[in-house]
Amino acid sequence: MNEPLIVGVPSKGRLMENAHAFFARAGITLLQPGGGRDYRGTVPELPGVEIAYLSTADIVTNLAQGSIHLGVAGEDLVREMIPDADARVVLLDGLGFGNANVVVAVPQAWIDVRTMRDLDDVATAFHHKRGRRVRVATKYVNLTRGFFSRHGIADYRIVESLGATEGAPASGTAELIVDITTTGSTLAANGLKVVDDGVMLRSQANLVASLQAEWGTDARATARALLDRIAAERRAHTMREVRTRFPDADAEMVAEAKGRFGVIAPLGGPTSSGMLTLLCPPDAVHLLATFLREHGAEHVMVAAPEYVFARENPLFDKLAERLG
Amino acid sequence: MASDRTSSSARTNRADGLVDLYERAGYLRVEPAILQPADDFLELAGEELRRSLFITSDARGRELCLRPDLTIPVCREHLEKAAPGRPAAYCYLGPVFRDRGDGSAELLQAGIESLGRADCEAADAECLALALDSVRQYGAADPEIRMGDVGLFAALVAALDLPPAWQRRLIKDFNRAGTLEADLATLKLARGAGAEHAGVLAALAGSDPAAARALVADLLSIAGIKAVGGRTVAEIAERFLEQAELGAATRLPAETMAVIERYLAIVGDPDEASAALRTLAADAALDLSAPLDAFEQRSGFLAAGGADVSGIRFATAFGRTLDYYSGMVFELHAKKKSRADGPLAAGGRYDRLLTLLGSANPVPAVGFAVWIERLEQAGGRP
Repeated sequence: MNEPLIVGVPSKGRLMENAHAFFARAGITLLQPGGGRDYRGTVPELPGVEIAYLSTADIVTNLAQGSIHLGVAGEDLVREMIPDADARVVLLDGLGFGNANVVVAVPQAWIDVRTMRDLDDVATAFHHKRGRRVRVATKYVNLTRGFFSRHGIADYRIVESLGATEGAPASGTAELIVDITTTGSTLAANGLKVVDDGVMLRSQANLVASLQAEWGTDARATARALLDRIAAERRAHTMREVRTRFPDADAEMVAEAKGRFGVIAPLGGPTSSGMLTLLCPPDAVHLLATFLREHGAEHVMVAAPEYVFARENPLFDKLAERLG
Repeated sequence: MASDRTSSSARTNRADGLVDLYERAGYLRVEPAILQPADDFLELAGEELRRSLFITSDARGRELCLRPDLTIPVCREHLEKAAPGRPAAYCYLGPVFRDRGDGSAELLQAGIESLGRADCEAADAECLALALDSVRQYGAADPEIRMGDVGLFAALVAALDLPPAWQRRLIKDFNRAGTLEADLATLKLARGAGAEHAGVLAALAGSDPAAARALVADLLSIAGIKAVGGRTVAEIAERFLEQAELGAATRLPAETMAVIERYLAIVGDPDEASAALRTLAADAALDLSAPLDAFEQRSGFLAAGGADVSGIRFATAFGRTLDYYSGMVFELHAKKKSRADGPLAAGGRYDRLLTLLGSANPVPAVGFAVWIERLEQAGGRP
């Protein structure tokens, strides 16, 4: 292929491990020919793909500029670093790792502050009394400004903080913070609490596509194949394969199972010998098994499929729709 | 490029005519630096401004920005001079920088700042008259004059019997489209205080403030909480008690609501507006005589200065989004629709600004700025 599809993948840490595992589950092997020191990688299954190992911030910058086609990045960074993100990139799918909430946290001693409305009032009173504004330590300058503005809060100043933000109130460099948290224990250890309606964003790692990149025929074809594998793996997660065989299995019973349990019959109705394969949502498996035995099944076998490929390619469609 | 440069210098030459106008009126030309400390702009105008600022930093990590306007730089220069207490009148012409997404970020502004005059009403009128002269000089005759008065709203809120928390909130939100309406809607709905503390708050309501403060301080120390994040225990206790009061009376009396809504609906020329405001004050038994006397005096000075007072559109709800305005505010708009996407001129009274910038004594101040590119579009050929 002349024109590779460039995919940005985090170059270190847990995000990199999770990203590798995610692609591996979809049957996509990421190879770093030069080992950990090489910042370019390949995918033996998909020769048109070129992997670019980058820091997460660089992945977001490159997506915004269009120098990579796809990338793995947290939604928090995408929304913070790209103004008008939805016009420039598409969040194709949440990947189920890198979960973190971006929250507004105030000192626990502020027992009079439960809501953003309380915070608004305290900020105004503080400004009024001290002649200066309360300071908010954060690395999420843009997210904070947008969120505070939506809550009508005006009497504050942002203090940029690129690390150990949760220590800012105790050290006196800010009165409150906006930061990411997974369990809230770091906040609590620093004497902070999350404002009730102060969750700005529930973020996780996403597969993100750039709308600014050069999307030629080759890149599109490669993206279609890559996203097809990912979609098949994602789809398989939402289904169990249910197999059985009994003489009374008929089209009418299958129709009833479709209506009651949301199953699909990928291979069509029962064969003449009553052989039946269904795909069923995981949480309906037990009800379906009972239902089938009530209709005469002796055994019902359930397995988790590794992949379920379908004619549709929803991830690629989502991208193609935006590319026009 | 060459033609750009020509038109840019032609633009400046023509705008020099405005500086002549201001200098003849007694304003001294000043030329503050283009690169300014960012801190004052953000602290005085609010974080919302950061979106449109071009920010950089020096080697010591100080945040600097390209000036987004000249009012703050002019005022600071004034304070750095030997006798900041004396009245002073400044004018300026030069580029300002604002990130507006599309469109040029460098715009030419001219304007004046009149500092330290005690005869505020006369100074207000003179300021508006000079803004009108500026627009006229560009052949944009007869602009629409929109006027409001931030101080009058503050006077109304102070005269009404409102809990302090609501007074602060209403004044803060007055300049922010949308939020004042939301406040009034909340005041109408009787919503209780935060459910989790409701019992404690109810128990504290009406109790002796000193005892209640001691109780809150005890509660915090029992919980082992020492760091209070820049606020004192007394402040936290005080507001906690304020909430207790609010919980007892979250719903404003219907008459008070009606007064605020009636106030915000008043529009007309300044004479009509002051008549309506006097009627409102009489009906609601509020003493607004001092601010209304000043209001009428200003209208008198405007008429004496040759302005067509009946052509001014005064609206009580009209405000400008900068926090430091404290009295009359105005905008001049082109009557014919043009590509200009904002006022030709804008200004007002900002009596608190110099104190906020560090002046030991209050300095009354009023000023305006004109947008040269918009004036060119709205006006005729020179």
